[in-house]
Amino acid sequence: MTSIARPVTAFHALLVALMLGFLIPLSATGAEDQAVYTLQADGLACPFCAYGIEKQLARIDGVKSVETDVKSGTVIITMKPGATLHEADANRAVEAAGFSMGDFRKEDDET
Amino acid sequence: MTSRLAAVCLAFAAGFGVVSTTTAAPQTFNTALPVAEDEFVFREQFVYRKATDDPSPADRELQVLGGASVLGYGVTGDLAVFGVLPYLDKELDVTTPGGRVTRNTSGIADARLFGRYTVYKDNAPGRTFRIAPFLGVEMPTGDDNDRDNLGRLPAPLQLGSGSWDGFGGIMLTYQTLDFQIDAQASYTLNTEANNFEFGDEARLDTSLQYRVWPQELDAGAPGFLYAVLEGNFLFTDNNEMNGVKDPNSGGTSFFLSPGLQYVTKRWIIEGIVQLPVSQDLNGLALEDDFIVRAGFRINF
Repeated sequence: MTSIARPVTAFHALLVALMLGFLIPLSATGAEDQAVYTLQADGLACPFCAYGIEKQLARIDGVKSVETDVKSGTVIITMKPGATLHEADANRAVEAAGFSMGDFRKEDDET
Repeated sequence: MTSRLAAVCLAFAAGFGVVSTTTAAPQTFNTALPVAEDEFVFREQFVYRKATDDPSPADRELQVLGGASVLGYGVTGDLAVFGVLPYLDKELDVTTPGGRVTRNTSGIADARLFGRYTVYKDNAPGRTFRIAPFLGVEMPTGDDNDRDNLGRLPAPLQLGSGSWDGFGGIMLTYQTLDFQIDAQASYTLNTEANNFEFGDEARLDTSLQYRVWPQELDAGAPGFLYAVLEGNFLFTDNNEMNGVKDPNSGGTSFFLSPGLQYVTKRWIIEGIVQLPVSQDLNGLALEDDFIVRAGFRINF
């Protein structure tokens, strides 16, 4: 019984070590490359309109998620690892939703 | 005659109510529905209308139950096209020399297609002001030759007019985080079919939507609840039959309409009651009691 259990435990330890070895660096890399942008959507004043902006922005290549704060009119765009959001593309998306883009910036405190 | 006015009113309500542009949007007219580029908006609105205030000895009672399906598509951020397909069930009770009779019909009514272009837009944080003219056509998709055992139904009771009619107008919207005001001026040019022509119609519609919940905005609110007050002023010209004006048709009326609207990102539910404050109709035209509208809207 014991002789069987010991090899299994050793195998598990090896597996955990391999997982930690691979997953931790992958996770750290994803965090580093996941850029976050914030833009001001002028003219946005209700939830129903926010959906249009979110869909337009989500169509841009590399966009992972879009969140809108109707009260402040700000839209937070999180990119996929390694992807960049160009201001011209963001502006085009906001205009397509029927609004105007104000301030556009890349957040320094990346997640 | 009254039914004709009723039909016109309903078509108007169903048609223009189907045309809306920016956000919460009015319920008694649709020229303000917001649609982003390459996106769709769908509105389904159920309508119940009752008109029993009959100055004639015929003691007419008209009930219209129906709905209007509206599909809007954003060609660009400024240009949107809409299609409106009403389904109506009309019933008219009237006293004749032979006794009380009921005449009714149901089915698809005249469909509407229109486009709206935002020519002016002033966007700022938390508010927007827009001016958007619109232009469209009402197509004779409804049956205009329906009959019952008494013969051909009168034109106002038919589902369709049989004619191609044009309409156009201008829509103004001012919206903030707390409230929205919409105003619309429009004109419908009706044409002749089957030797009958509905009177042209001019309208002035306004809508105020005030956010009552949440009173203070925060990120956790799933949607906004708006209290709604809308006003509809209608002027309808006399109908014409064989080129002769019908003295018992047309006139002016003013409706005041309280309602509610719950708005989320993906969908809206809404309801409103149109109450006639003033009805100065010609001759023996039938007057409205009320119109109820309720429905939903989705973005996709």
